[in-house]
Amino acid sequence: METQYKLTYFNGRGLAEPIRLLFAYAKVEYEDVRIEKPQWPSMKPTTPFGKLPILEFDGKKVGQSVAICRYLGKKWNLTGKDDWDSLQCDVLVDTLGDLKQQVGQYRMEQDPAIKEEKKQNLIKETIPFYLQKLEQIVKENDDYLVGGQLTWADFQYAASLENFELIFGKEALDQYPHLKALKERVFELPGIKEWVAKRPVTEF
Amino acid sequence: MAPTYKLNYFDVRGRGEPIRFIFHQAGVSFEDNRISKEHWGTIKPTTPFGKLPFLEEDGKVIVQSLAIERYLARKFKLIGKDEWDALQCDAVQAFFEADAAKKEEKKAAVINDQAPFYLSRFDEQVKKNGGYLVNGQLTWADLHFVATLQVTCDMLGKDVVASHANLAAHREKILNLPNIKAWVAKRPTTPF
Repeated sequence: METQYKLTYFNGRGLAEPIRLLFAYAKVEYEDVRIEKPQWPSMKPTTPFGKLPILEFDGKKVGQSVAICRYLGKKWNLTGKDDWDSLQCDVLVDTLGDLKQQVGQYRMEQDPAIKEEKKQNLIKETIPFYLQKLEQIVKENDDYLVGGQLTWADFQYAASLENFELIFGKEALDQYPHLKALKERVFELPGIKEWVAKRPVTEF
Repeated sequence: MAPTYKLNYFDVRGRGEPIRFIFHQAGVSFEDNRISKEHWGTIKPTTPFGKLPFLEEDGKVIVQSLAIERYLARKFKLIGKDEWDALQCDAVQAFFEADAAKKEEKKAAVINDQAPFYLSRFDEQVKKNGGYLVNGQLTWADLHFVATLQVTCDMLGKDVVASHANLAAHREKILNLPNIKAWVAKRPTTPF
């Protein structure tokens, strides 16, 4: 019997979107639950560690979006050809996590002067530092992240690069043609293309 | 032939210690290279993303501490019995990663709110899982958890684990594993 999956998150792309992209590509059905903010306080204590997204299946509940992506990636043969490729998926997704953390710190900054300083630092140093190196990696992998083939890491990157363009502007990836090509290719994949056409349009 | 390993990190426990725990528990030898602050300046540009730790396996460079831990755990059979167990190991890690950055400004909030919130859940989990974090058996999650919590307690200046009976017992058990015990007795003493 087929496993019934239920994904719960807020009404946004956020941390859940890479998971939704994986389901769309694998063409596996799942319940895409989006809760409104007022529902969250009563739901929070029922989650393993008070956070979303969570995935439920076979009577089990689990959190941690990257862990979920890795698990589904393994199930659907999207972890490359061997343990070294799997490792590279982890390395590159966690590296992206480091960059996202820096961007997150800028976005959460309350003090306008410090916020502007962080923004300038990001635009002039941190982002180029990471994206230039990642661009080189993608160039060497035929416009994929790992092993010259599609892996779950590409879905994480596609979702983040989409957000990156929303934060920094549509031209933000122009200097990184291979990263841009990666993102565009993922969004053109069968299953994903249909998902993007019908998914809710949300602020984040 | 077995690969040669060299771990490169600062001379602290921090993000390197869980990796060291995994090597020691597995009984696999590795070079524990500790880089001084002065030295770091010259080494930094030679690293993939300007950060530590990095592990060299037969000269190939690997970064990202969690990725390294998971990779070694799989090799050394410290990852549970199936993919669900492996997922559970992953699900336990990120609490510390997410909060590590906040510790400096928010010690009181960590001690009074976040630590009790998370630790009471981990306490339940250890209770339900036969005294381990995942499925009644030792995994890298247990080693990561204990090594990292020691660092966290040192940074906070408070033993936040002590009030959670199952976690305190868990910590005792892990620190008493023969290889871990031997390592902890001889490892360099560092502030965190």
